[in-house]
Amino acid sequence: MMLSEAVRAEIRSWMDLYPAGRQRSAILPALYVIQREFGYCPVEAQNELAEMLDLEPAEVGAVVGFYNMFHEEPKGEYHIEVCTNVPCMLRGAGKCMHHLEEKLGIHHGEKTADGKYALDHMECLGSCGTAPMVSVTEQKTGKIRYFEELDSAEDVAAMLQVLESGNAFVTTERWTPEGDPERTGKAAGPYRFGGMEPRYLLGQVGKADSHTLAVYERDGGYATAKRVLHEMEPAAVVEQVKASGIRGRGGAGFPTGMKWGFLAPAFPRYLVVNADESEPGTFKDRMIMEYDPHQLIEGIILSAFAIQAETAFIYIRGEYYFAYTRLVDAIKEAKAKGYLGKGIFGTEKNLEIIVHRGAGAYECGEETALLTSLEGYRGHPRMKPPFPAVEGLYAKPTIVNNVESICNVTHVMRYGVEWYRTFGTEKSPGMRIFCLSGNVKRPGLYELPHAVPLRELIYTYGGGPEDDRAAIKAVVPGGLSMKLLTAEQLDTPLDYEAVQAAGSLLGSAGVIVIDERASMIEVARRTLSFYREESCGKCTPCREGTGWLEEILLRIERGGGRVKDLEIMEHITRFIAGKSFCPFGDAAVWGLQSNLAKFRNEFIRHIEQTNPEEIGPIIPIRPIYRPDAGSASVLRDSTVVPVGESPLNRDHVIGD
Amino acid sequence: MSDQVTLTIDGRQVTVPAGTLVVDAAAALRIEIPVFCSHPKLDPVACCRMCLVEIEGPRGPMLQTACSVPVREGMVVRTDTEQVKATQEANLAFILLNHPLDCPICDKGGECPLQDQTMRFGPGISQLVEPKRRKQKHYLISDTIVLDQERCVVCWRCIRYLEEWEDKPQLGLFERGGETIIDIQDGKPVDAKTGGNIIDICPVGALTNRVARFAFRPWEIERTPSICNHCSIGCNVRLDSRTHKLRRIIGRENMAVNDQWICDKGRFAHAWVNHEERLTTPLLRKNGQLVPATWGEAVQYVADRLRAVKQQHGADAVGGIGSAKLSNEANYLLQRFMRQVVGTNNIDHRDGGAVAALPGGIPALADVMKPQYGPNPKVDTIFLFGVDPSEELPILDLHLKRAVRRGGAKLIIAHPRQVELTRYNGPYLRYRPGSEATLLNGLTKYALAATEGDKPKVEQMVGDVTDAHLADLCGVDPDAVQAAATLLATSKSALIVYGPMAARGETGQAVLNGLTNLAMVTGHYERLAYVGLEANSHGARDLGVLPTHLPGYAAVEDAEARSRFAAKWGGDLPTRPGLSYKAMLDAAGSAIKALYIMGANPASERPVWAENLEKLDLLVVQELFLTETAAKAHVVLPALSWAEVDGTFTNLERRVQRAPRAVRDPHSKAAPDWMILDHLASRLGSRWGYADEHAVTRDISESVPLYAGLTWEALGDQGLQYDAAPVRPRPAYRKVVQAPLPAADSASFALVTGTVLYDGGDLFRLTRQMANMAFGATAVLHPADAEKLGVEAGDPVVVSNAHGELTLQVKLDVQVPPGAVWIPESLPGAPVGALLNGSDAAAVSVRPVVERQAALAAD
Repeated sequence: MMLSEAVRAEIRSWMDLYPAGRQRSAILPALYVIQREFGYCPVEAQNELAEMLDLEPAEVGAVVGFYNMFHEEPKGEYHIEVCTNVPCMLRGAGKCMHHLEEKLGIHHGEKTADGKYALDHMECLGSCGTAPMVSVTEQKTGKIRYFEELDSAEDVAAMLQVLESGNAFVTTERWTPEGDPERTGKAAGPYRFGGMEPRYLLGQVGKADSHTLAVYERDGGYATAKRVLHEMEPAAVVEQVKASGIRGRGGAGFPTGMKWGFLAPAFPRYLVVNADESEPGTFKDRMIMEYDPHQLIEGIILSAFAIQAETAFIYIRGEYYFAYTRLVDAIKEAKAKGYLGKGIFGTEKNLEIIVHRGAGAYECGEETALLTSLEGYRGHPRMKPPFPAVEGLYAKPTIVNNVESICNVTHVMRYGVEWYRTFGTEKSPGMRIFCLSGNVKRPGLYELPHAVPLRELIYTYGGGPEDDRAAIKAVVPGGLSMKLLTAEQLDTPLDYEAVQAAGSLLGSAGVIVIDERASMIEVARRTLSFYREESCGKCTPCREGTGWLEEILLRIERGGGRVKDLEIMEHITRFIAGKSFCPFGDAAVWGLQSNLAKFRNEFIRHIEQTNPEEIGPIIPIRPIYRPDAGSASVLRDSTVVPVGESPLNRDHVIGD
Repeated sequence: MSDQVTLTIDGRQVTVPAGTLVVDAAAALRIEIPVFCSHPKLDPVACCRMCLVEIEGPRGPMLQTACSVPVREGMVVRTDTEQVKATQEANLAFILLNHPLDCPICDKGGECPLQDQTMRFGPGISQLVEPKRRKQKHYLISDTIVLDQERCVVCWRCIRYLEEWEDKPQLGLFERGGETIIDIQDGKPVDAKTGGNIIDICPVGALTNRVARFAFRPWEIERTPSICNHCSIGCNVRLDSRTHKLRRIIGRENMAVNDQWICDKGRFAHAWVNHEERLTTPLLRKNGQLVPATWGEAVQYVADRLRAVKQQHGADAVGGIGSAKLSNEANYLLQRFMRQVVGTNNIDHRDGGAVAALPGGIPALADVMKPQYGPNPKVDTIFLFGVDPSEELPILDLHLKRAVRRGGAKLIIAHPRQVELTRYNGPYLRYRPGSEATLLNGLTKYALAATEGDKPKVEQMVGDVTDAHLADLCGVDPDAVQAAATLLATSKSALIVYGPMAARGETGQAVLNGLTNLAMVTGHYERLAYVGLEANSHGARDLGVLPTHLPGYAAVEDAEARSRFAAKWGGDLPTRPGLSYKAMLDAAGSAIKALYIMGANPASERPVWAENLEKLDLLVVQELFLTETAAKAHVVLPALSWAEVDGTFTNLERRVQRAPRAVRDPHSKAAPDWMILDHLASRLGSRWGYADEHAVTRDISESVPLYAGLTWEALGDQGLQYDAAPVRPRPAYRKVVQAPLPAADSASFALVTGTVLYDGGDLFRLTRQMANMAFGATAVLHPADAEKLGVEAGDPVVVSNAHGELTLQVKLDVQVPPGAVWIPESLPGAPVGALLNGSDAAAVSVRPVVERQAALAAD
């Protein structure tokens, strides 16, 4: 037996956390335990876990393979992952990776000879405002810490020094070259934020001990929840939320109250908070969970009361380790006070919150994929109808809402519908946390009412272009999956309708600014690398198409492009968008479609410069297969070496 | 809401049942919508996106997947627009993007939906100039299934089959995105007993049949609709042959029998048909040696010797043994030969006369089936008594899992082993072998308690069974007995099934009586069923291969029936019941002087029988192989197999089905059973005059009222059921008395026998690719017992009792209860019959092989 009794006991305690008969949900937490024990997920341990969960071994293996954060071989004592997605790329992730490679003496994808450090590239880690950055996983504890703002070789050296000291994981709060208590005497604290005054969603952030119940309650927290639970009927809360017109902050912008109205009249019901913030350019939920977790908890209490759920889940992305610990601590505090658990606030109401860590899969931000993942399966989206409000988690009526949406509920219930509607527009009411990243002077989170002009966000709050000599070329208004706006569209007000009229969508309000220095070919290729990596593989167009697009873009980038490729890519994107199983397909190609439409000349110029003769690629001849009589009864035929990822995908991930 | 929905597809109206999917509604109009992931027997997943069609909506036509959207009244669907066509082309381009296009060396080529759809719906040109993605090619995911990940289009059909039907998700999607692959967990091959079905439903060449690998191209084969001959389900199959050889077996749809699924034994274990060990010429013993002979010589020899034995010792010194593996025609003629030509009722087969069977079998297999689209099973509870479908009847196992998981059925299991189906949490009664009578009385008692109204007189017969008896004698939890009885008493329609393991000998009669009482008390008598396990167990009984009954279950003492057959056959028929299979073999060499054995191998069953056979004046063996029994014969007559001659078989639900000739070795002199017997009869002066095998089938249909009208032509390729009512005995309560159990001292083990699927008989063993799957000559123990004995898996042990002794390898399995040892039947080198006398429960002792202990001590 590979799993010790202590490990089994720990796994069993995770299994006990989930509703009876739903122990499969504990598969991700159990795999985290296993990975912490062994540094990876050995097959034998997987098989033993399968037995504990009463599954076939292949069911566990299939899950391990789906999630990026589980490894099938050891990754070193410290696993360093550099975010190379577009917002980080724009701010020098390539250089950061380069410095790390130099210092560690290894290439990315490798491990140091002593097994101490493993270096990999990583897709968006939700830290776009503090790019470039890395996340470091300490194998023996399973803790993850972010090291941010690694602008120079000195910063990288300082960070490695911290790791060498052995004290790097005393806390998992983010580290920056300045925010290092041992070196500079002060902690990093929350990253840059600002916006209107007073702020609501970010109102507590920046105060000392803002994450504690004492501070939250001192400033009026939980009073609303207490009042509502004592004085109101659930239906009345639903009505208020409907009237407020809150629209979902995760990306689709669906009215929250209307979603609640779809609930099937069956019980139990579940509230699932989508904290799988993975859309590149978006890093707002992380701040709330790290520095104001009680705001979210109060929102959950109110929302669960409204939809009559007694169990709420927070599905938080696996990389957000610090936010996870803050949430767990906050829930413990609230429970100790009687704000959660049985008979909360002295009423008859019960509520348990279970925090469930994802394990590295962008697709799990899609609500049905999130539920599938929460149930302990690979995070594939599922068919709608039935919609989650009818048959969601464990086939029970379920509401899935984004963290920020839930937080808005708190403020609506606290200050009223009329107050809420004084912000924003008729159809896009309320305030919003805009995530500003890319080539601006002051990237960060800015809480502003809807309909603030894009220009105001970038210039007034963001301080304008990062480099005064480089003009803004393009802006992604709502997270990487949304269509690009050009410099001429900077006066677009940031509300749902106006951004849509401008040819894009507000999405998750992740505003990524791209200036003249960046190559649109690289932006396109990086974008597709991300979607190729994150495609769940369920449906054909997305699974095959994203990889094909990435290959073409890689070839163009490396000087083998043909103008014809642009047409081929347009053709491919047309048959991914709207044809794939879930909205991921659209998200994967909208950016490229707008890029090709609006910056076509830049592509053509690049092709003309790098491949003037338009020489086509050499089509590789496939090897000749020998017929296999299948005579030997061995399970693996050794005549064919398993082929891993195409080297093309890996060797050129990083820029300069 | 109406049950019928009318919609328009491509301008044409069609009316279909509500709930039908658009893709199936289109099929009703003969409009083909291309699909890969969609399969009529699996839940839709809509992942391949091939079936996108335009469906009119409030915001104009929307592309939706026809495989997942149910029809709505007034729905307007278009499958022929430019947009749909462009999408189909683009999707096929995506699907083919990383497909290796190695059709010339792919077994699927020629019968490949991917090829067909590419030709019909594909773009005809690829714009890909990048290198294709490489994955693993041709490796084994089980002993019989080869996977090529490059050819896979990730449609999930295989995964869904194993999940939705087998409830064993041993294949999964691994990795993610473009790297997504179908795979097993490392080191954990697919071992589901019907796993091979995933080959049939794979729409590309990703999953191929290792046994049939590179044996043909699909356009070269002849396809013969037939049935499987491995067990009594009678699954419909297709035999694919080329150049006189059987190349492949695949499933064939019969919604009353097997849906479209077959088990791996039926699919893969067919190498024996064309095996070089097959007998191809008659053999005659000369100077102690079996030497090739002509048919004329051999048949004349048999005729002369039979006549001589009969003259010297009388007709009852001759015995005939038929086979439940052989066709109705062969068995019918053998009993006719014994009764009419020889003049004796000494005719039986293994598990024949000694088994307390109830004619008719299961009312209808369809009653327990839950097809993908269709109502829930007609029976709401299934009680399995001493039957293990997972090992004995794998497709019944599949139906039951489905009935429980999807059809709301309940399962009750009484078995000495914790068989696989017990995982479904129905009441499970693990009884001690031999204690069946007490258990059944207990069940009846509790059933009575759960029934309202007047208690029938059976109450007094079972009243003395106490919970203490159940617990101490049977080893079952009285609460579980009560739960099972209550479930039976309260269910609307329960099916009660028992099999040969529980039906043999004295105990068998008690089991039948006890089950009859229980079924009557709970109101399910009409659904009490005995199931034989061999392909024609039911046909052999129906057609009188029994020492006590003529064809159609008329007793041999019944003068009217005798005269009816005599009128047909000619001559006088013997009146005295004959000897049973066991009695004939026990008496071989003493009272029995000559045996005619057709398709049976008793020498392998019990050492004592092997010895007896050598004492016979005449042993004739009609066989496919030179078995242990044939090797002792005076004459060996080479026969043809089920695949080589037209024949009919009767399955466990009385369905008579055709197995037509699919192949024949032109170099072999082997002859059909009917022809050998026909010739022999004429040498003994009885001219039967059958022109061909269909004439025998016709004779059966005319002579046996039960089989009236079941001619070859009438059976068609889905078979017909006969009406069992005339032969079902009228139920009556009977007192069931517990026979004394062998003394259970702490040193002894209860012997559990039974049948396993991969038993290693000739029909399995000769498929070399499956060699590793064979059960082997093993004694299976509970790990705790093994520890007590100081043995480990693989160690040799001696299992013995007063009757005999066997040396076997230890296997460990928690499904065997502590204090028991499981030795399945028909394992080569493990004649468990050596430990049995009759069919009574046996106690055995198990001890490690001494040499090993000594060797260890010496170390």
